[in-house]
Amino acid sequence: MTDLIKETLSPPRSILSQNASQAFYRLLAALLICAALTLLSDSFLSLGNILNVLRQASLTFFIASGLTLVVLTAGLDLSVGANVALSACLAGTVIHQTGSPALGILTGLVVGGVVGFLNGFMVTALRIPSFIATYGMLWVLNGVTYWYMAGETVHGFPAGFRQIGSGYFLGLPVPVYLLLIFLAIGSLFAQRTIWGQEIYAIGANPVAARLSGIPVTRRLLLVYTVSGTMAGIASIIFLARLNSAEADIGESLTLPAIAAVLIGGASLFGGIGTVFGTFIGASILTLVLNGMNLLSISANWQPLVTGIIVIVAVWLDMKTRRSAQ
Amino acid sequence: MPDAAVISQIRLFQRTPGVAIVLVLLIGLFGAIAPGFLSAANLANVLVQSTILTMLALPMTLIIMTEGLDLSMGAVLTLTSLCVAIVSLATKSALLGLGAAVLVGAAFGTVNGWLVAIVGIPPFVATLATLGIAQGLSLIMSDGQSVVGIPHSVRDIYSAAVLSVPVPIIIGLASYGVFHGLLYHTRFGTYVFALGGNREALRYAGLSPTRLLIAVYAIGGTMVGVAGLLMTARMNSGHPTAGLGLEFDAIAAVAVGGTSFERGNGWLLGTVLGVIAVGVLRNGLNLVSLPSSIQVASVGALVIVALFLDGFRSRS
Amino acid sequence: MKHRMTRCLALSFLITAASTQARADNETIAVFTKNQTNPFFQTVRVGADNMAKALNAKILHYIPTKPDSIPEQLSQIEDVVVKKPSAIVFTPVDYKAMVPGVEKINDAKIPVVNITDRSAGGKFVSFVGADDYSLGLETGRFLLKALGGKGNVVIIEGVKGSLTNVDRVRGFNDALKETPGVKLLASQPGNYQRLQALQVMENLMQSNSQIDGVLAANDAMAIGAIEALDGANRKALVIGINGTKEAVDAIKSGKLLASGDYNGFAQGCLGAMMAIRTLRGQPVISEIVLKPTVITSENYQPFDISLEQRTCPTFEDASKLGAK
Repeated sequence: MTDLIKETLSPPRSILSQNASQAFYRLLAALLICAALTLLSDSFLSLGNILNVLRQASLTFFIASGLTLVVLTAGLDLSVGANVALSACLAGTVIHQTGSPALGILTGLVVGGVVGFLNGFMVTALRIPSFIATYGMLWVLNGVTYWYMAGETVHGFPAGFRQIGSGYFLGLPVPVYLLLIFLAIGSLFAQRTIWGQEIYAIGANPVAARLSGIPVTRRLLLVYTVSGTMAGIASIIFLARLNSAEADIGESLTLPAIAAVLIGGASLFGGIGTVFGTFIGASILTLVLNGMNLLSISANWQPLVTGIIVIVAVWLDMKTRRSAQ
Repeated sequence: MPDAAVISQIRLFQRTPGVAIVLVLLIGLFGAIAPGFLSAANLANVLVQSTILTMLALPMTLIIMTEGLDLSMGAVLTLTSLCVAIVSLATKSALLGLGAAVLVGAAFGTVNGWLVAIVGIPPFVATLATLGIAQGLSLIMSDGQSVVGIPHSVRDIYSAAVLSVPVPIIIGLASYGVFHGLLYHTRFGTYVFALGGNREALRYAGLSPTRLLIAVYAIGGTMVGVAGLLMTARMNSGHPTAGLGLEFDAIAAVAVGGTSFERGNGWLLGTVLGVIAVGVLRNGLNLVSLPSSIQVASVGALVIVALFLDGFRSRS
Repeated sequence: MKHRMTRCLALSFLITAASTQARADNETIAVFTKNQTNPFFQTVRVGADNMAKALNAKILHYIPTKPDSIPEQLSQIEDVVVKKPSAIVFTPVDYKAMVPGVEKINDAKIPVVNITDRSAGGKFVSFVGADDYSLGLETGRFLLKALGGKGNVVIIEGVKGSLTNVDRVRGFNDALKETPGVKLLASQPGNYQRLQALQVMENLMQSNSQIDGVLAANDAMAIGAIEALDGANRKALVIGINGTKEAVDAIKSGKLLASGDYNGFAQGCLGAMMAIRTLRGQPVISEIVLKPTVITSENYQPFDISLEQRTCPTFEDASKLGAK
């Protein structure tokens, strides 16, 4: 037994190096797509377009980075998209009525976080499998958002607030800075803190984690709350970028976020994956859409191409993982 | 010392699955407050509406029992439904339409099984990818348009009745019968239980878990092909987004019905009760005409409550 | 304009008074719309509510819980047929796939009025809608005229295969054909979604250094495109379609050039009116196609009031519209 615990608790080194080589291969895949697009389209390889891709990837990344932590614990959060919609609608209304972007941002983060906490509560205290608990939550959130918005749009925010989404600082879009900041914080948290390591351990073997004294319930609550809060952050970026929100904005956000996590190399069985990998995953998905727009390929092909890329990415991932072992 | 009646009641409560309690409560509630809910026509209505989802949820139960998942079902349903429309339009034959749909469905099921069992991609990822492929094929084949003008023989399948029992209900019952027989009365069924709970035992018995797993997914795809015929018959047309998202409804029904995501604990009848519970909820709310947003929220609440009841009792 | 408004109001009062006298029997009208999220259908619902209130009838709304879900709208029809409302006002989520549903309503002998998207089959007592083609054509023409008949434009399309999108884009393209000086650079779908339109626009700006005009098939996409242009510090004239509150605000502030008024409010009003008139044995108009109005900075004022305060058109107004 003690061996088992040791094994579970000592992965930091091996996971780190293994994850690093994983991330390397994924980066390579992204670069290959870039090279192909450069050959196919003149306008692809310009600073403008690369910043463009990063800015578009940021929204998926914010949602997917929190989701990565949930997936690390062998859980899943299907309610992230619906959470973004509710948080954005409430935050937007608060900004409108109080005129204070700060209060609006706070609202978005708190709503997102509370929803995440409730998910965590259902998973830990009520012991409902995360897949089903968060699917139920998705419907509940949609119901609340539909009722609250009643088919209206909330729109038109102060210019200062909108800088968060569409502004530039020293020539780079503001969301790109935020992306880099959260990428750094997320990676450091997951890889370099005890809490982060405990999250990996819970995903790798929950029983061993509990036996070795890790407060599993509290860590799980933390993870779901963080995922919800990241959805809240995404909702703020969404509001600032689109200058408006309506009840249906979440529909199209959840599956791409999950796909980004999986293309990024995380395993749904927990314990494997990195925030950086998720960032690459989000970038690959965005690159595909960007490339298809630049090449004027009909949108009918987009789901098909995305599906094939998911398979190829995960298959490559498994190949490299096997050869690494 | 509590008396025997109370104890037996507690035991009954503990043994009754959450989904049955929820279903009885829903029927009682809507029977009392929704006019017309308990009429034979309306109850038949609920069952007919539940058929297509039942046909997805039955094989989904088997797949989930093997600790798998099939996210591609809704998209493959859409694709097979389009196949029925296109082929029957071209050949004027419902049977050929069904044949094409079953082939395409079985092919997707086999590919899913192959990706999961042989390539070794986790089921969630593999079927998420085939979801995209099936959806893409639907859009490309139809160019985003509905396919109409299909022969009446297709549509009649949905609206016909035998001895005044609507054909969809018969198909639903037959599907349940087949799956019940398959799971509880054949060796294959025993193996399916073992696939989830005890894969090593299968290997010791000299059986190939790989082939069994592929078979489970292929059966799923085949059922989706048959459901595609019903879907087209229901709409009298093929539509490139008609079935999207139904896989989550099916998964929710399986979970609500008491099948566990771990260790091969499956309950086939529970799945059907889960499908019907969601159908009753939607139908009843339509009849009492509450705001639609409440309907959205209550679907989520039903899923959470049913699973909470199950978890609650398994601990007590 | 104001004069017409007061007149409308007076007339509707007259009609209300007359019809309440004739019969006031609280009919229930089931109104089917496509989803709970698109502001357009909210204007339809409010229009129907207003008219029903004026005519002393009761409205029940049926909306799929999953936006635009075909199986769910079919189920809702089956449920509603059990409940037997006096009449139905119906927007099909898909104009072809919902035909079996309409036939079920016909079989149950419930009178049904078709609004917004014209159903490909089934029997209706009346159709009320706007002409998407001429809406696309007129709004497109307005943009091309504002461009002075030259320059580069892009089209952002809605959901492929949807009736509204096919006709609106055909209208845009025909307007472009009349103006050979304007070059169409690309026509890409944004699926009626704001975020997708924003990203499509950002991507198109990468491959096209000069875009002078954007023709978007709805307002949400038009405004998404404007945000993309703002973000890149570029300028172009943008038009949308639907005449939503948001679009009117954007026209007022000069960001949006124009929006074609799809007039969901009038569609809801007249749909409910025709249904109620059928029940009361009053004459109905079998087809009303609302004339295209392009909302611009010149004429936005009447659209700049909240929905609840708007007045439904009268039967006389409708008769004029009905005359083709």
